[in-house]
Amino acid sequence: MRQRSGSNLELALADRRISNRRVFSPAVLATGLALCAAFVRADEAAPPTAPAQLPESSTTSISREVKEIFEKSGKAVVKIRGTDEHGDLSGTGFFIDPTGMIYTAFSVGGDTDNLTVEFDGKTYPARLMMADLRSGIAILKADIASPALPIGKSETMEVATPVMAIGYPLDLPSTPSFGMVAGFDRKFLDRYFCTTHVRVNLPTQRGEAGAPLLNFKGEVVGILVAQIENGSACYALPIDAAEKIRNDFIRFGEARHGWIGINVAQAPKPIDGSTAEMTEIMKDTPAYGSGIKPGDILLQVGKTQVHQPEDVIDASFFLTAGDDVPITVMRGNEKMVFEVKADCHPLSPCAPKAATLTPAQGIPLQIDATRRTP
Amino acid sequence: MDPLSEEQIGKLLRLKKYEQPPPAYFENFLHEFHRRQRDELLKEPVWRIALQRTQDFLFRLNIPGVASYPALATALVICAAVISLKVYQTPETVNVAAQNRSPVVATTTLPDSNWSLSNPVTTRDLGPSLVRTVKDSSKTHRVAAPPRYVLDSTPVSYEAAFRF
Repeated sequence: MRQRSGSNLELALADRRISNRRVFSPAVLATGLALCAAFVRADEAAPPTAPAQLPESSTTSISREVKEIFEKSGKAVVKIRGTDEHGDLSGTGFFIDPTGMIYTAFSVGGDTDNLTVEFDGKTYPARLMMADLRSGIAILKADIASPALPIGKSETMEVATPVMAIGYPLDLPSTPSFGMVAGFDRKFLDRYFCTTHVRVNLPTQRGEAGAPLLNFKGEVVGILVAQIENGSACYALPIDAAEKIRNDFIRFGEARHGWIGINVAQAPKPIDGSTAEMTEIMKDTPAYGSGIKPGDILLQVGKTQVHQPEDVIDASFFLTAGDDVPITVMRGNEKMVFEVKADCHPLSPCAPKAATLTPAQGIPLQIDATRRTP
Repeated sequence: MDPLSEEQIGKLLRLKKYEQPPPAYFENFLHEFHRRQRDELLKEPVWRIALQRTQDFLFRLNIPGVASYPALATALVICAAVISLKVYQTPETVNVAAQNRSPVVATTTLPDSNWSLSNPVTTRDLGPSLVRTVKDSSKTHRVAAPPRYVLDSTPVSYEAAFRF
């Protein structure tokens, strides 16, 4: 009885287990799947355990970079004082080597006596090494050990490249300004520059002539030479142009602008991509008798390609007297290359006194007194 | 002039009853009344007028009520204070003036060469001790002419034509 009853009980229990298995297995499976799905969703939806680091805002980043460059480069920027025919003047300059060589604007140091530089809280005498009216810069020297700003490549700049300047406006201390490249101009108000100038949307004040234009690597890419629109923007001479003048000074002790003696005008139609037509070969110039003829289309001067007459401005600026210059022209359907030795520009210091241009030929390389700083 | 009888007065009043003043009489009545009143007053001597005014003032002030002891004491204290202030201030002002004047008195001892008979006022030399000296620190507000802060509005040179 007991056994039977026991066996019955066992059977009942076995039946129950079986029925439980049948009932519970789908439920367990469904529950497990639901839990897994919920876990996965929760895992997807749940915030990360560690909060993500917020990205630095662009203004903060710019501010930090400007501050870093200002702190690093500001020590090499000096205030320049002197006296010219109008009285005392004040401008800005910057060291370019450890021996105290200084770049500044011609209007600051080009025609100035009693030059001094204020560096590291002290005033030191400085002397004029060279001044170039055509480029609008001057090189000074103070006999002190100095920091120096690295020289960059102005050709790497493009429109909207962020730049900054460090100068001494008015009687104020060293001041950073931030802006961006607005354009590359060959002329302003119908007057052609000696070479392409960088127009920078960067606020400037009086006293900042000669200030360095720096890229965000802290390299000098230009020198402030003029302000436009009451200081809301400015023009800077590209540092490549300034370095050309400095190289001349190192080689010859003076600026040696080259001169070929060719007049160029707009051709009626482009030939081989150029509309620069040679209209005159001046007498007693290197071009005279070189084989170049009026009517030839100018394609290249040295390394500078020419596509239009305005391109001659840059090509001309980077010529150095005494150098052999290959000049590529198109005559009819034939491309020709002439090797011409550049002479001194008639208004350069190296030019012989007799070699002067007639008023009609002369380049008005002169100080525009009416536009000087009041 | 004999006094009028009642009958005469009555007749006169009956006559006057129909009399009318000129049109501007009532407009100017008050002004004319005051004028005549003042004329009457001015006929009396000035001292009598003043006496009458004083009597009227005192009568309106009710002196017996005001003249109590505390009021009197207060009035006395105020008077004393005012008088003492005036007394103590006046001599001090005099002393200051005397001190300021002493250097000027000293200049009278300067030699005669410091004086010019031709124009004793304008050419008077007060001597070195009285010349005003300007301290260096007081020059701070007199800034020297500032230098020309340079930044031209165009580059210093330009090119006229496409030639090289």
